Amino acid sequence: MTSHLRCQDITVRFGGLVACNSVSLEVERGKIVGLIGPNGAGKTTLFNVLSRFQEASAGDLFYEGRSIRNKKPHEMISIGMARTFQNINLFSEQSTLDNILIGAHRHVGDPFSHMYSLPHARRRERELVKQATEIASMLHLSDQLDNAVKNLPYGLQKRVELARALASRPEIILLDEPVAGCNDEETADLCTIVQKLNKELGITILLVEHDMTMVMSVCDYIYVMNFGANLAAGTPAQIRENPEVISAYLGEEVAA
Amino acid sequence: MILARVGIAPTIASNVRELPSAGDAKPEAVTLLKQRFHRQNVYMVAALFVVLLLLPYAPGAQSWMAAQAALVIIYVIAAQGVALLVGYTGLVTVGHGGFLAIGAYTAALLTKYFGVDLLVAIAGGGAIAAFIGMLLGLVFLRLAGPFMAIGTLGFAFFVGTIVTNVPLFEGRDGISLPPTNSVLGVKVGDIGFYYVAVVMLALMTLFLYSLLRSGVGRALRALRDSERAAESSGVNRLFYRTLAFSVSAGITGVAGALNGLLIHFVSAEVYSDIWYSVDILVAVVVGGASMMMGPFVGGFFVVMLPFFLDQLADFASILKGIVLIVVLLFAPAGVCAVLSGPLRAWRRRKLDEVRPAAAPIVPTVMTANR
Repeated sequence: MTSHLRCQDITVRFGGLVACNSVSLEVERGKIVGLIGPNGAGKTTLFNVLSRFQEASAGDLFYEGRSIRNKKPHEMISIGMARTFQNINLFSEQSTLDNILIGAHRHVGDPFSHMYSLPHARRRERELVKQATEIASMLHLSDQLDNAVKNLPYGLQKRVELARALASRPEIILLDEPVAGCNDEETADLCTIVQKLNKELGITILLVEHDMTMVMSVCDYIYVMNFGANLAAGTPAQIRENPEVISAYLGEEVAA
Repeated sequence: MILARVGIAPTIASNVRELPSAGDAKPEAVTLLKQRFHRQNVYMVAALFVVLLLLPYAPGAQSWMAAQAALVIIYVIAAQGVALLVGYTGLVTVGHGGFLAIGAYTAALLTKYFGVDLLVAIAGGGAIAAFIGMLLGLVFLRLAGPFMAIGTLGFAFFVGTIVTNVPLFEGRDGISLPPTNSVLGVKVGDIGFYYVAVVMLALMTLFLYSLLRSGVGRALRALRDSERAAESSGVNRLFYRTLAFSVSAGITGVAGALNGLLIHFVSAEVYSDIWYSVDILVAVVVGGASMMMGPFVGGFFVVMLPFFLDQLADFASILKGIVLIVVLLFAPAGVCAVLSGPLRAWRRRKLDEVRPAAAPIVPTVMTANR
């Protein structure tokens, strides 16, 4: 069986700096996979390669066994991959509803019939609004649908970003530090949501995260990167025990 | 793959019930209020058009006033085209006078050599401008920020040079058109032409309204606010920006066609001047680039200011500059935003009254794990 998402020997160079050095990673369908590592380990660079915002100097990427190295960023959504950003990247002046609807852009269809508001385009628009409302309800954003997202607290903005990713009906979501900057309560909320998406909607999830509580509690499998290269891989229990990982990254936190 | 075909919407709906509903309020009150505000907006715009239609019957109205009013409408339409780019797509153009010229010359040549109906000439002007806009869009949109603005300026000069020197366009002598236009076979004077302009304005306003509230408008605003987030949501940047550029050029082309046919004369002396491009941009910025009514206010301003100053018309350009600077400093969202400010503040208050505060999800899984 082919894996859902796989990258093979990805190398990224910025001038003389090697951000990723022959990194390989495999995400199985239906799993929650974590990618961790100290700051500057190349996690976000690898993420950008996977979502096609960054060209790889060498290596190849496969989505369900097919190479996606020549895809453009806007084409990733239509093969079933959505992503969120490390620093929230929302349309901050626009309403929560509009933000979620943009996520459903893939399902809008022919732009010309929408420009003229033809009957079938308006019907499609109503369906998308209905779907967006349901997603908002699922993420408990219903009462903020008409509010501009810049007025929302940080934790809710994170949820809006997730809602936008969901609106494309993805098969896999890449989460770049989903709980960075969140307080304990917001972190707990997002863990609940991520597990729901995975268990009940069957969405594969790959996440980069520094928050060990989150990574250890939600992930089925973990990859560890250090200095732009693969360091270790295994289940949370294996990673917790791995001496290399402890010395490189977890250090005191796990020992204590 | 199966998931994508079936769609997750039904699954999501069935999940809603299982989640603890901590403070999930009824959004109906908000929705109803928003619908009411929307209806109010529609009524106001409809009222404006009723006034425009009744204007020729106003006491003291004379037929030369119809031509002046048509000129205001022409500028409003041109500004609508530019506002689509500047306000909703986040692109700056300082060369839309070029599309005004293309629309005017297309309409003039169609009328002179083929004797077409007024409506056909207008449609032709819009279509040719939109087509050229599409080709140019593919080139310009690869340029970033200020370079694109300079590119469009170069385009306006390029059009000016072409119409001055290519014999077909009859240079500075200009193309003279028959003194009356015919609409669907009926000869019309200034008042008839004014009505055609009002109908065109209504069509363009409806079209823009339809475009901006559709998925297309949403994609454009998304690109304006964050290219990266828009692309990660599947918005094809080059396609949507080219589309916006082409539509914008087409709308300005319609204004150009109306302009040529109103004066029955099209010459390089007028259209090789960069002044048109500047005036339209001033109208957009002063009126308000990202409001439907912005171009209405701005178009009225740039046409009627020199008119009211009459003898001091030369002073008008200085005054326009001063107003532009004052607006940019104190009301960067435009005069229209200032005028509608109290109404929008009142509506925001009304919405806040019915909108409950944000409630966090009650954590379930994490608390169990800890």
